[in-house]
This record gives sequence, structure tokens and C-alpha cells, in this order.
Amino acid sequence: MDLKNELQKIVGAGNVLDSPEILEEYSTDNGIYPPGMPTVVVKAGKSEDVAKVINLANKNSTPVIPVSSGVHFQGCTIPYQGGIVLDLSNLNKILEIDPPNRRVRIEPGVTWGQITDELAKENIRVISPLLPHADRSVITDYLEREAPVVPKYEFAEPLMTYEIVWPNGEVFRTGSASVPGYPDSPAKGTNPAGPGLDFYRLPQGAQGTMGVINWANLKLEYLPKINKIFFMPFEDINAAIEPIYKIPRVHIGQEFFLLNHVDLALILAKQWPDDYDRLSDILPSWTLILTISGPPRRPEERIEYEKEALFDLKKQYFQDMPILEALPGVPGGGRELIHMLRKPWPKEEVYWKNRLSGACQSLFFIARPEDAPSFYEKVVDEAPKYGYPLEDLGVYLQPIEQSRVCHLEFNMFYDPDDPIEREKIRIMNRELAQDLLDMGAIFTRPYGDLADMVYEKATSYTTALKRVKKMFDPNNIMNPGRLCF
Amino acid sequence: MPEEYVKFDLTDMKNFEYDMKRCVRCKGCKWVDHIYMPGATYSTRCPSEKRYLFDSFSAWGRLRLALSLLNGRIEFNDRFVEAIYKCQLCGACDAGCKRNLDLEIGSALESLRIKCVADGFGPMPEHKAIAEKIEKEHNVFGGPADNRDKWAKGIQTDDKAEFVYFVGCYGSYKMQGIPKATANILKATGQSFKIMGSDEYCCGYPLYSTGQIEKAKKAAQHNIDTIAKSGAKTVITACAECYKTLKVDYPKMFNKSTSDMGYQVIHLVEFVADQMEKGTIKFKNNIDMRVTYHDACNLARMSEPWVYWEGKRKLYGITEPTAPRRKGTHGVYHQPRNILKAIPGIDYVDMIRIRENAWCCGAGGGVAEAFPEFAQWSAEERLEEVDEVGAAALITACPRCKDNFSKAINASGDNIKVMDIAEMINEAIK
Amino acid sequence: MGIPQEAYKAMEDIVGSQYITDDQVIAQAYVGRLGHGKDTGIDLEMNVPPAVIVLPRTTKEVQGILKIAHRYKINYVPASSFWISHCAPKRPNSIVLDLKRMNDLEIDEENMCAICGPGVIFSQLQEEAIKRGMYTTTPGGGSQVSVVANHINWGLSPLNYRNGVPGRRVLGGEWVLPDGELLRIGSMSTSDDPFWGEGPGPDLRGLLRGWIGWFGAMGVVTKLAVKLLPFHDEGLKPVGISPHTTLQFPEKKRIRWYNFVMPTRESLVECMYDIGKAEIAAALTKVPQQWRYIAKAGCREDFWEGWNTNEARKSINNIHICRVMLVGYASEEQLEYEERVLMDIMDSYGAKLGRTRQSDNSWIKNADSATMWMMTGAYTSVQVTVDTVDCGVKGGEGLAREKPAFTPPLMDDYGEPGWFQVSEIGHMGYIEFLQYWDPNPNQENLYKKDEWNYIKVPTLDAEWGMFNAFNMYASPMNLTGKAYGPECRKWFEKVKAEFDPDKISNDPIPWDVDEYVDKVDWVNKEDYINRDWSKG
Repeated sequence: MDLKNELQKIVGAGNVLDSPEILEEYSTDNGIYPPGMPTVVVKAGKSEDVAKVINLANKNSTPVIPVSSGVHFQGCTIPYQGGIVLDLSNLNKILEIDPPNRRVRIEPGVTWGQITDELAKENIRVISPLLPHADRSVITDYLEREAPVVPKYEFAEPLMTYEIVWPNGEVFRTGSASVPGYPDSPAKGTNPAGPGLDFYRLPQGAQGTMGVINWANLKLEYLPKINKIFFMPFEDINAAIEPIYKIPRVHIGQEFFLLNHVDLALILAKQWPDDYDRLSDILPSWTLILTISGPPRRPEERIEYEKEALFDLKKQYFQDMPILEALPGVPGGGRELIHMLRKPWPKEEVYWKNRLSGACQSLFFIARPEDAPSFYEKVVDEAPKYGYPLEDLGVYLQPIEQSRVCHLEFNMFYDPDDPIEREKIRIMNRELAQDLLDMGAIFTRPYGDLADMVYEKATSYTTALKRVKKMFDPNNIMNPGRLCF
Repeated sequence: MPEEYVKFDLTDMKNFEYDMKRCVRCKGCKWVDHIYMPGATYSTRCPSEKRYLFDSFSAWGRLRLALSLLNGRIEFNDRFVEAIYKCQLCGACDAGCKRNLDLEIGSALESLRIKCVADGFGPMPEHKAIAEKIEKEHNVFGGPADNRDKWAKGIQTDDKAEFVYFVGCYGSYKMQGIPKATANILKATGQSFKIMGSDEYCCGYPLYSTGQIEKAKKAAQHNIDTIAKSGAKTVITACAECYKTLKVDYPKMFNKSTSDMGYQVIHLVEFVADQMEKGTIKFKNNIDMRVTYHDACNLARMSEPWVYWEGKRKLYGITEPTAPRRKGTHGVYHQPRNILKAIPGIDYVDMIRIRENAWCCGAGGGVAEAFPEFAQWSAEERLEEVDEVGAAALITACPRCKDNFSKAINASGDNIKVMDIAEMINEAIK
Repeated sequence: MGIPQEAYKAMEDIVGSQYITDDQVIAQAYVGRLGHGKDTGIDLEMNVPPAVIVLPRTTKEVQGILKIAHRYKINYVPASSFWISHCAPKRPNSIVLDLKRMNDLEIDEENMCAICGPGVIFSQLQEEAIKRGMYTTTPGGGSQVSVVANHINWGLSPLNYRNGVPGRRVLGGEWVLPDGELLRIGSMSTSDDPFWGEGPGPDLRGLLRGWIGWFGAMGVVTKLAVKLLPFHDEGLKPVGISPHTTLQFPEKKRIRWYNFVMPTRESLVECMYDIGKAEIAAALTKVPQQWRYIAKAGCREDFWEGWNTNEARKSINNIHICRVMLVGYASEEQLEYEERVLMDIMDSYGAKLGRTRQSDNSWIKNADSATMWMMTGAYTSVQVTVDTVDCGVKGGEGLAREKPAFTPPLMDDYGEPGWFQVSEIGHMGYIEFLQYWDPNPNQENLYKKDEWNYIKVPTLDAEWGMFNAFNMYASPMNLTGKAYGPECRKWFEKVKAEFDPDKISNDPIPWDVDEYVDKVDWVNKEDYINRDWSKG
């Protein structure tokens, strides 16, 4: 029996797709990498299907490329070795909302657009990365270690436990969801650790190479009703360092991040392109954005002391830094940002990173905040060599874990329909990454071209990783050729 | 647990088998009390474990060895004996253990030494040599017994006094400035005193601490009898070793309590602190110096009175009647500090490890005699701490500590001044 | 007996003769009977003296020793603070790697992490952190345990209410694999800077630690960066003389403990949920009644005088104490705000604020784990559930119902349903169910404490659906390793087969309980070996 028939037996004929148009659709993404054609696309209708498909793929040594989101940017779902694209977008149930334990259990196809509205009804939320695409899978974002836009929690990671189908087809539950009888058990799956080993770490940053998640538990936080937003505008990136280190360290604020004028204008522009042109002209080179929010109890009092503490810090450490409640020249002072940050980017609008030229290549890594200026300088020095206009360079710095470290992101915009420009960006992305890697940038999720350079440098890690991968995926079927295997 | 009858009799190690078994290796015996933990450095208080590293050189390791010996799993050999004696018996482990548990670590270690000697494997040859000197001339140096009170020439004593000043071997033979200063201080307060002259025998610390209990008992009995004969009710001393031996070890050797001894032992610093309260002593002279104080183990954490106990140990290890525990809480800690702080001009600073957490000078337990290099190493660590707090002088209340620190300073060429507190007080009241 | 002379010589060449010994007297000092698990069956029956003890100083030395062990197929046991029964050799002719000399500690103040050798203990780190306005979680294991070892297998304490479970605090480091090869994890995989935990791609920290991890059965972590968290900057002053020492809180209102007497156990649980939701507090824990009696007692006999009373017996169901710590991380105003919110919550439950000393004897810098042995001479925690608060409380209550059948030999704790607390600002609850017994071997039915510990509790937990994965190391792998995951035991086997096929790294961990219960007559292994856990 051929593969297609076998797959149809598992998911039903209507969920096995191999028309050229469909295959074409899955052969590419919104990024710089060339297409690769899958053999077949399978839409899983229920989580039990996943293990069956993977078992079948193992039998046939067929690659499996799991796809959860409706939108991808980094090439990690492009099936370069053919095989089965396992589309999980129909696994989009919010399985449980558990407000007392501040937990939500969702399937991988649940998107930011879907979950945000559902949770808002109960005044709760999953802390998101910065303005995610509405069609992005929530689970994928945190499996891929996107940085939460709120750096205040000491226990930074929102992902708690999950059910995973390992590449060898075995179904496994991690952390406290590993108890017999889950989910009809007293244990609800809020502890990520164990059983025995921290299995939950292995599929993270794996780009689908370590298995497929059937569902995951994520942390919920309250959705603040009363908020204030502050803008700290300045011209020299070095001025950002003190406030970045000091503010989250004293438990002030919720959302907190740094954008340059390009990224901020892309986000704030309403009428395209007029607003963007105007904003990118008038906005300061850099703006630190901080929200202060009131929790359910005594919200105003909380905002009051946090605000006072913020201004005390200013007095002590960054006197020259203006702290404004509205951005001059921006309609509404930019205050609507506070609401935007609690939702994904509106589905009906072009994604903010794609507004300028149609597509965006993000080059990002983990760094010490104090090193951000030197990384920035390097990019500024190098970008023109590739003919890239500095006035179109987007920069985003997201403090993580109370600013212990940061996610530093350079956004390079290009026309996706212009193959030469696309290739130019690809080269620039690769070569800049090499420079930054040499300077100490930590690429924890190297996509595409970056994988080789990073894994080559991480000699001992790569060797161990290959041994681990072999254990879990003896036939190397899960998204092969993606990382270092 | 079936009841068992036990007693604080150190000549039978089985009395401390429970303590050996119940050690959980929390290493309270090694680390400075965690509340006082100063950080990455100066964080331990056991010189032996720090110097020799292997667990057999720690209290928990020695307890394990003792238990193995009791259970016949090992026998004494050279390495075992070395592990037993490369230890100052400074009491840091005992006080540390009793922060959390009620185990008799110090007594168990002493008992192990007694067993080692009884079985013919201890003490070290150097300890035997000293025992011979003590036996012959009643002092650790082997100097003529008749010379013991030579330092007191010209000093007026009072045979009817209720105070007897127990001078000790170091004061009598090697550091005569200390007894002279002590005598001056007593005189200045109007306190009459007598001395025992050649009837004062070595207190027996070098014998008792090395497990030579029978010899120690002889010296002790002689001194006890002499004190009794003298009619004195109070024994004053300026030596921490003599202090603890007369106060704690004598009753321990004879299965008695400190309160049964018929005399009270006080250290000079207790006396002076008391006089300060009464206003009978005045520090007239300015001494411009930044000084720190070294807690001599025997005056500090090991100086609480001994209470002999025997009784039942029942289910859960409960003792009946309740066994007394000396936790090092009531050591002579405040008096020397209060004295130094009261001397005009003195800029007093504490070291990092103080009181029950203090690092031993390194001389005790027979270490200075058998393992002088180890004794010096220990002193050097303490002197680094003196440097760390920026003190120009190190004050102690024990001639043995002073002697050991002085040797280390001579060897290293350091310019820290070491003084006995009696000398410092004497300077201040002159 | 012993190890080949040439292997010894090779190790001696690496570390120097003063840091290695095969003296069998010294070896006796390393025979078991230590810390958590002491006086349980494994501790009493399986421990043997090591053939060699070696004290390495550097990662390179550890690599050298492990390579020699690998070459000669010699079992080795790495241990830092020796505070769990796994850290004693259970195979004849083993090497003990005593890691106490690897005690380098470096604080990265700006980026809030500490780079530790395995010989560094928590009170050392906590002091260095507090000096710089930061702190870590001193775990229930005690201030004396190794920062590195504890972070990779345990690390629970009331301070996790803010600081998060320890797995989140493990950053980059150096890990010598069982065969001596060096694996650099986290940011050290591509740089010399260990400030970040994730390596490229799949996160191998998942293989290193867990609940409960390897206990030296997967090589040696020789350097690890751990996260530090911001604290207030007023410092804490040590006062008192042993045993009554404590950290005095500053006069400025930057840190405060509050003890509330709650009307019922239910209200104690509910208020914990409310406090978490309000996002206030820095620590939140129930105070078990035994601990109150321990705290008041000067010695064991004092404790028993208090505990052997009707008042104590009744207190289990009548007195419910909630202890809350507030910290003004930002300012005094923060603490005042949190205090107002706390009082709102507690008032709504009719709680009474009791007298509370403004100092800390336990948790911040000192954790008196050894005190747990004070009451009876033997102690262990049999259930340590981390999931929701509700889950923890149910587990404790269930075990309290079952425990009388094992009492004695267990100490009668009058139905105490366990110690529970909250982690990650209410996202998780944590319960620890504590056992005490008299370890004297002459007692009747003493084996029942092992039956309770190794078999009964893990079985009940798996049946009930409690996450007691702590028992992964105190129950047969054929029981819990089968029930949880499911079949997480298979992954242990696969990992071990891949990285340590000759089982030289601390064998037989983590299969020691299986091996132990194979030899006893009080376990019916078929009951759990053949059990199908798939339906719960």
C-alpha cells in the first residue's frame, strides 16, 4: 500500500493533500529561503493522528515536517528533503482554561488571535512576544523560545508541560502532566520538571526535529484593567543601558522594551505609508517603552508606587532620560500601544514587519544588554557594505528575566518578489550573523544558513546533540537537514 | 529503640556510639554558622579538614572511623592515628553540630583518643615526650619544677587569699610577662591572691587532650588536692587552656560536674570585666591602635561548665533524665571585647570568624607539638584574617595562642603585633 | 581488590599525590550514612567503602580521571556535599570524586548570575549575592548543599514563590560526560561566557537535570552558572550566638515576615491562591505544627515534652498557620502596598495576624535541614509533589489517611497532612510529606518504613495521579519510571546506554531501589511490574 493510502487511513482522504497547488503552498514561507517541495500534506484532525502518522513515517523512513502556524518566517517548515508536511492547524482546541491555577491547555494549532480573545473574556492572558502575527501558533512561539514582552517574572518561561509524540512514535507527557490518568488527575500539569529528566527542554528550539506537541499547558497572568505607558526617547543607544538594567530589577512595570524609530514607526503608523514617513522622521532614534499596570487588587496604589520608584531610579541613575506619558507629534501620544501590546497584530492588516517592503528578515540573538551598543555599531558599520540603507534598519531589544539578558533583533526589510534583493538580504543576514557570532552573540535558535555556522562553533554541544537526536529519532525522520542532523 | 544505659564517661567509646551513628554529615562541624557565613572566603572553621581535605580529617569522618573501629570494620594503624591527632580539638565541630543536633562530637573525639592510647597506638611520640617532662618536672618544657614561681620574685602574694592564681606552664616558664601583668592587674584592683609555686603542676591539658587520661588524672588530682588544701575557693588564670582544663576537663576525667569541684574557675578577663562593672579598675592610658581579638577555643566555645550525666537513652534517642548539652552559647565572648573597647584610643574591630565560629590558632590538641607545620599553617590563616580587617595588633587571652601566632609571624615576617590581653590591660592601667 | 595500580598511578599523575588516596581507613570515612535517605534500606544495606578517593581541582583533572575510569571500566561516584544517599559508593572498587576543592565562585553582578564550582555551597553564594543586592533560593536541602548539585536535581524552598523552580535558574556550564569528554552547555557552547542557559537548538539541560536527575550517574558538572534574582539593598544583619542565630531584618520596611492563623485548612489553601493572584509576596508557606514545636524546643527532650500532649495532637486540625514574606524590592512603598493587599485578603478569611519576629532563621540564608533529624534521629520526605496547590494538599491529606498503618515504626504525627507552599507566584503548589522514625535496627517491623517509603507511597501517588517524581530516586524505576511519562525509565536506559554503556558513572543509580527491593522479602514486585498504568 502506498504512503498516501496509509495516510488516508489515518486521517481520512480529505485530509491528505497532494495537489501541486497545495504542495506549492507548503513549499515556501514568508522568508528568504528557497522553496522545497513536500511529497504530501497531511492535516491532523485529532491528536491521536499524530503518533500514527509518525509511526508510519518511521516505517517508511519518510521525513515529517510539523507545521502549526499559518505563518512562518525563518524557513524551518520548508521540506527540503520532501516527505510529509504534518499540518496541525486543525488541532486548534483550547482544551482547558483553569483560572484558579492560572493555566491554559491548548493544542498546537491554537493561534494568538484565537487565544487572546478567548482569555480576555475572563480577564486573563498568556504573556505574548512583541506583537505576534495573529495566525502564529502560541505553542510554536514558545517552543521556539520567543522572548516574552514582559520581563518582570523571575520564572520567565510561560510554557509548562506538554504531551509530545517523540520522533520514534512514542507518546509522552512531560513534567507533572506525566502522571497516570492525566488530565483526569489531581496533578494539572503546572510543573515543567521531570519526570526524572527535564524532557520539556529537548523539543525547545528544535524546529520540529524532536517530535510533535499534541497539547501544552501555558501560564496565565491577569489582564490588567488599569494601565499607564511611559516613553523614554533618546538619541544614543548607550543611554538605554542604565534604564534597561535598573527598571525591571526593582520589579517595576509589565511590558518593557526598546525600539528604534523604524520599528516603532512601523508599529504606530495607521495610514500607510504617510504615517510611517512622518513618524520615522519625527520619532527619536530610540524609544524605551514601559507599561505600568494595576493588578486586580488596589490597582491604582500599585501604579502609584511603581511610578514613584521609576522616577526615583531616574533621579539616581538616568537623570537626563526623559520619561514621557505621550510621544510628541504622535497622534494620541502613542498611548494606544498599551492596548496593542496585549493583542496580536490585527489580522486584517499587513504584519508590521512586512509593511515597509513586503517582507522582513530578522537577525536576532541573546546578548548582555551592556553589549547591545557594540553589536548595534557592528551592524551599522557593516549594513551599508551590502547596500542596505541604515534608515530602513529596524532594531528591537527585549529585556529578558529582569534585564539579566536581552533578545537583540535587527530587522532588515526587503521586497520578497525581488529575487536579487532577497538574495542580497540572505547574504547580509549570513555574514552579519558570522560577525556577531564572532563577537559573542548567542544564537540559541539558528535558522537556515545560521545553523551550520553555529553548530560548527558549538563543537561539543553539536556532538552530544547528534547522539541525543539519534536516541529519539533513530530514522532521522523529523524535519531532517534542519539543524545539525 | 530498646532502652540503653549510657553515661558521659569518656573512657568507654560506646557511650558515644549513638552520636557517631546519628551524624548525618550536614557538615555543621565544618562550615561557619550559615547565618554568619561571610561568603566565598573564611567560610569554614575546621582547620584539619581544610588542611588535609579528605573526610577522615573532619569530625564527620572521624566519627565514622570511630564507629568502624567499634564495629570491628577497621583497626588502628598509622594513617588512622595520624587522622585522629591532626586535629586541634578546638571544639568548632561540637558547637557547630549543636546548632542543629544534640550530638556529643567533642566528647566522642576525645573518647577516641583515649581509646587510641589505651590500645597502645597513641599518642604521637612528641606527646609522649611531653608527658615524660610533665611526669618529671611537672611542666611541658621540662624546666626545673622549682623554677615555676621564679617570675613572681618581688610580687606580693597572700597565703590567706581566697583567690589562687593558677599560672600555667607557658606563663611560668616562657611568657613571664603575662603572669607579671596579671599580678599587677589583680593588685591594681585590690584583689589579694596566692600562687601554688612548685606545687602547681602542669594542668594536664597536653595529656588529657592527647588521650593520656591516666597521666592527666594524676596531674589533675594533684592540682585539685593542692587547691583544696590552700582553702581557696576561686582559681583565677590567664591561660585559656588551664581555664578549660580546670573547669571542664577535671570534672570530666573524674565523672563529676564542674559544680562538684569545690572551686570556681575564672579567667582574668571575667575578673576584669567584673571589676569594670564595679568601677574598681580604670584604664588610664591611651593606646592608639587598631586591634582585634582572637577567641581562644578553650576560653570561648569550649568553656561552658561540664555537667556529668548518666541515664537512659530511649525511643527516638530521648534521654532520661534529659542530658545536658554544652552548645558553646555561654562562652567567654563579650568580656574580652568589652575590655578592649573600653581602653581609650583602641580602635576595636572584630575578625570575620568570631566567637563560636572562630578559627583556631592551630596549637591545641597536641598539634603544635606533633605537627608544628600544621599549627603554623592554621595560625597563618588566622593572621590573614587579621590583615583582612586591617588590625595592627592581635590580642588573645591564651599564652598558647600567642606563642603559636608569634611563631607564625616570625616565620612569615609579618608585622602584626601579638599581645596577650593581660599585657594590654596592664598597659592601660599602668 | 582495589583498582589497577596503573590506573591509580595515572590519576595520581593528574591530581598530585596529596589529593588521592587508596588508604582503606580513609575510605571508611566515605561509606554512606549521609543526608537525605540516611537509615533507609539502601543506605544500610548497599553502601561499601570506595577503593580510591580523589580530590580534583579543575575540569581538566576531572576529565582526566573520568577518562581513566572509562579506560579501566572503574565505577566512580562524584559528590560535592554528600547530602543524599546516592552520593556514596554502592559498588566495590569504586572511585569517589570528592569535589570540595572545586570551589571557585564568581559573581556577574550586572547580568545577575553566579558561576560556581561544585564545591560552592548555598550560604556562601547567598552571602555574596546579598552583598550585591541579589539573592538565590537556599533550598530545603540546606545551606550546606552544593549549589551546582542542588540546582541540577532539586532546589525547592518557599523562596521559589518568587524565584521560580530551580530548573529555570540553570545557565551555561561545563559538563564532563561519563567517558571524560567535555560538553559545554548553554552560552558556553559557543563562547566562554556562561550567562545564558539555552544552547543552540534542543536544550541539553533537559538531559542534565530533572526531577530528580542523575545524582552523578551521568558524569560530572564541573562549572555551572546559576541565575541570581534581584533583592532589596538594605542587607540583613546576623545576630545572636549559636544556636540562637538569626538574620535581623533592616529597620526600613523592605522585608517582613507575617504569621497568620487561619480558621481552617481550606482557608489556608484559598488564601494562598488569592495571594498568588494578587502578585504580592516573596515567600508563602504553611508552617507544620511539628516545626513550631521544634522551634520552641531547646533539645530533643523539650520537643517531646511539648509534642506528647493533647494540645499538640489537637493542633493538627485546629491550628493552620500561613507564613508570608513580603519584600519591598522597589521601595518601602512597595512593601506597604503589598501589606495592604495582604491584609485585605487575610481579613476576608477571618485570619489573625500572630506575633512575628522580624528576622529569618531559616530559608533566606540558613536552611536547617539537619534539624529534621533532631526529633527521632531519622527522617525522610516520602512525597514531594509539585503541581497545583490543590493537588499538593490532596496528596498530603491522602497520605495522612494511609500512614497510621505504618505507624509505628513511623513516628505518630497525629495525622499531619504535610508541609505545603507555593511556587512561581501561585502557578504551582508544593507539598512535602515528612516521615520520622527511630532508626535503631532492633525495633519490630522496622522494614515497614522502607515499604512505606519505597513502595506504598509511590504506588498511591501514581494511583491517585499525584506528581511525586521526587520518588524517581526513592522507588523502583519499575514502578514510578513505568508509571510516569509513561515509561520515562526507558529514556533513562537509552541515555545511559548511549553515554555510559559500561555503567561506570555511579552505578547502580538510578536503579538502586530496584536492586535493593530484589533482595528483600517484603515486596511483591509483580504487583507493580505487571501493572498497566495507562488508565491511571
